Amino acid sequence: MEIDPVTRAVARVEGQGENTLHHNLVRFTHILRHLGIRVSMAEALDAYQALTLVDLTSREQVKAALGAVLVKNASDRQIFNLSFDRFFVPPEEKKRRRMLRKQLEEEERRRLAEAREKLNQALSPWSTEVNFSPEEIQTFARMPAREQRRLTELIRQMHGNPVNSPGHLIARVMQSALNYWRYYLLKTQGEEARRQLEAELTGETEMDDVIAGVAADFYRDPDDQLLHQDMQQVADADLEKFTLALERLSTHLANRLSRRYRKSNRRQKLDMRRTIRRNIAFGGSPLKLCYRSRRRHRPRLLLICDVSASMARYARFVLQFIYGLSSAAQDIESFVFSEDLERVTPYFRRDDGFVPVMTELVNASRQWGKTTDFNVALKTFHRHWRHLLTGDTLVIIVSDTKTVAPQETARELAALRERVREILWLNPVPRKQWPYLPGVNAFLPYVRMFECYSLHHLEAILHRQMLK
Amino acid sequence: MDLTIKQLQQRLEAQGYICDQDLVITLYLSLKLAKPLLVEGAPGVGKTEVAKALAGALNTELIRLQCYEGLDENRALYEWNYQRQLLKIEIARGSCDPAALEKDLFDVEYLLERPLLKAIRAEKRVVLLIDEIDKTDPEFEAFLFEMLSDFQVSIPELGTLKAKQIPAVVLTSNGERELSDGLKRRCVYLYIDYPTVEKEVRILQVKVPQAQEELVRQVVRAVHFIRSHLNLKKKPSIAETLDWTRALVALHADALTPEILGQTLSLFLKNRDDQETLKREVGLSGLVEQIRGVKDDSSGPAGATCHCGHHQR
Repeated sequence: MEIDPVTRAVARVEGQGENTLHHNLVRFTHILRHLGIRVSMAEALDAYQALTLVDLTSREQVKAALGAVLVKNASDRQIFNLSFDRFFVPPEEKKRRRMLRKQLEEEERRRLAEAREKLNQALSPWSTEVNFSPEEIQTFARMPAREQRRLTELIRQMHGNPVNSPGHLIARVMQSALNYWRYYLLKTQGEEARRQLEAELTGETEMDDVIAGVAADFYRDPDDQLLHQDMQQVADADLEKFTLALERLSTHLANRLSRRYRKSNRRQKLDMRRTIRRNIAFGGSPLKLCYRSRRRHRPRLLLICDVSASMARYARFVLQFIYGLSSAAQDIESFVFSEDLERVTPYFRRDDGFVPVMTELVNASRQWGKTTDFNVALKTFHRHWRHLLTGDTLVIIVSDTKTVAPQETARELAALRERVREILWLNPVPRKQWPYLPGVNAFLPYVRMFECYSLHHLEAILHRQMLK
Repeated sequence: MDLTIKQLQQRLEAQGYICDQDLVITLYLSLKLAKPLLVEGAPGVGKTEVAKALAGALNTELIRLQCYEGLDENRALYEWNYQRQLLKIEIARGSCDPAALEKDLFDVEYLLERPLLKAIRAEKRVVLLIDEIDKTDPEFEAFLFEMLSDFQVSIPELGTLKAKQIPAVVLTSNGERELSDGLKRRCVYLYIDYPTVEKEVRILQVKVPQAQEELVRQVVRAVHFIRSHLNLKKKPSIAETLDWTRALVALHADALTPEILGQTLSLFLKNRDDQETLKREVGLSGLVEQIRGVKDDSSGPAGATCHCGHHQR
């Protein structure tokens, strides 16, 4: 076959490039980006330059050098360390991993083929014309063997009923069962299952191995697990740790917000009137200058928390968040709502601890665990508490947006938005489910909404949005 | 001055700053790449000390800019000496050409140097410490960009002043506010974690040489146990370990006992709730038993683990 010289040259350079410093560095930065670390081009260039300054035969030095220029915060540091240890390995280890990966892939292929075969066999008596998606097959393969048997047995029992060719119906039943199992596996096995079922990888096997390995190792660390865990899945044993972390976060936010906006003494403009008055003693020569300082007002913070039945799963988070924020800064107005709205600010004005305050609040409130009518709640707010709103008010709403009459609510929300500086909405429902929540679309034009179901989310929102 | 990594480490240690390879290499790269070093970590782990030790190691002056909310360029960079300018106007009234006078007034001699300008104009390379950058407003952070990437500052009346010698810049942050990506991109990053048992023992031996070795080991084990086993609002840092050890030396203690722990509790736990947590969860006698029952574990941070089998939490 005739190969043109350009193609040949490119092929040769590419072949040589496989194991060069540039090539490995580019692949490594690519992996870091896939794992969520922001590495810019400038940093990648710095990394290359840094490598020219250290001893390349010393693994420790190379790791320290890359770490110093590629990683810019503490939490990314651990991901970097894991990635480095997995990426920069001797050729023998790479070869061993390749073999292992092949074995695992073979195993997985066999398992999926078996699952597909079982599913098709179960439906074989009928012409169903249903093609199972790879996701459904994977879910079936991951189901416990006992449950697999039960499902196929159930379908087999329908063989005895040939009336009206129920094949299509049966296939749909099967798909629904698989959908349920997919949901169940995601819920019960948390992050691990999510990653296995919805892995976002590069498509290049060697890099994907590193990414998958790092993700698995990272989430094995109990502290990181807690930080990234869905709040509704926090085990009772971890509750104390979780509570403490959340308390720290909300106190931090409250302190920052109240401290940041104190009157500033920065010099802005010369205050001529005061300067002249002050310098009368010097015959009018302005020897001592007076400045006008710009006064900055603290934002008025207003917290509105949904405590309806649908939010019960997030109760721990909501309770801790209200308490942490409201008791740390005395001038935060707090409200809870479900069918209607109640002001709960006075509960936090005392110096009691979390348990007494929350017990008293829950006992006295008529809102806990009811259905949600945010529209009514907002109307009540406008009727009685409108005077609390100023152009400086920052409203924080914690809710899953599951309310009756979302369109009417959106109109009320629009009215609220006009009177305040900003509305931040912390939504504990994962972003992937937002398209199925009518409230989200209706409210989005008036609020800045954030996915917030883990401590990690909360921390990121506090840092990037509220404290910016 | 052209130092190797090893020489830099030796010089830092000669300053009494015990550091591991990671820190030295990061510091070395920051000097070689002429990029500022951004140091993060819990309060009291020795962030500011890095700059002090570096100044000592390079045998140069340390210029410190302590950041706070509302800090502006007037206080960080330069200010015109208004009073002197006015006096000059008064003195020269009617006796010289106003245009020439005005030109004179905005001369370097009427400039009040603040830390940043001082670092830029220094004849010899200095270490510039910008301490607690997270306390400033984002606008000030943006203002620093020109200084940190091009090592130059612009003064409208005088033009652009370029650094005579590029200073070694160390920025510290307690993570109170997320710093901008722009700032981070310009810096080499160092995170200082709590030290390993072995490292902390070495630090104490260098900083408090009067303390006996057994006491030092007990203190370090106690602090590591507290850091790793208790959920505290404020974990004791190296600074607190040092204070505590100095206090124990002053009290002529040669070993930790429940009594002496009770007397010196406030030196390493500076929060009432944390003190109560320690008493409730482990107890002072319990802590003493823990540290007598453990072996040193220098493999990782906060590595004190009880192996005696009697003290399961």
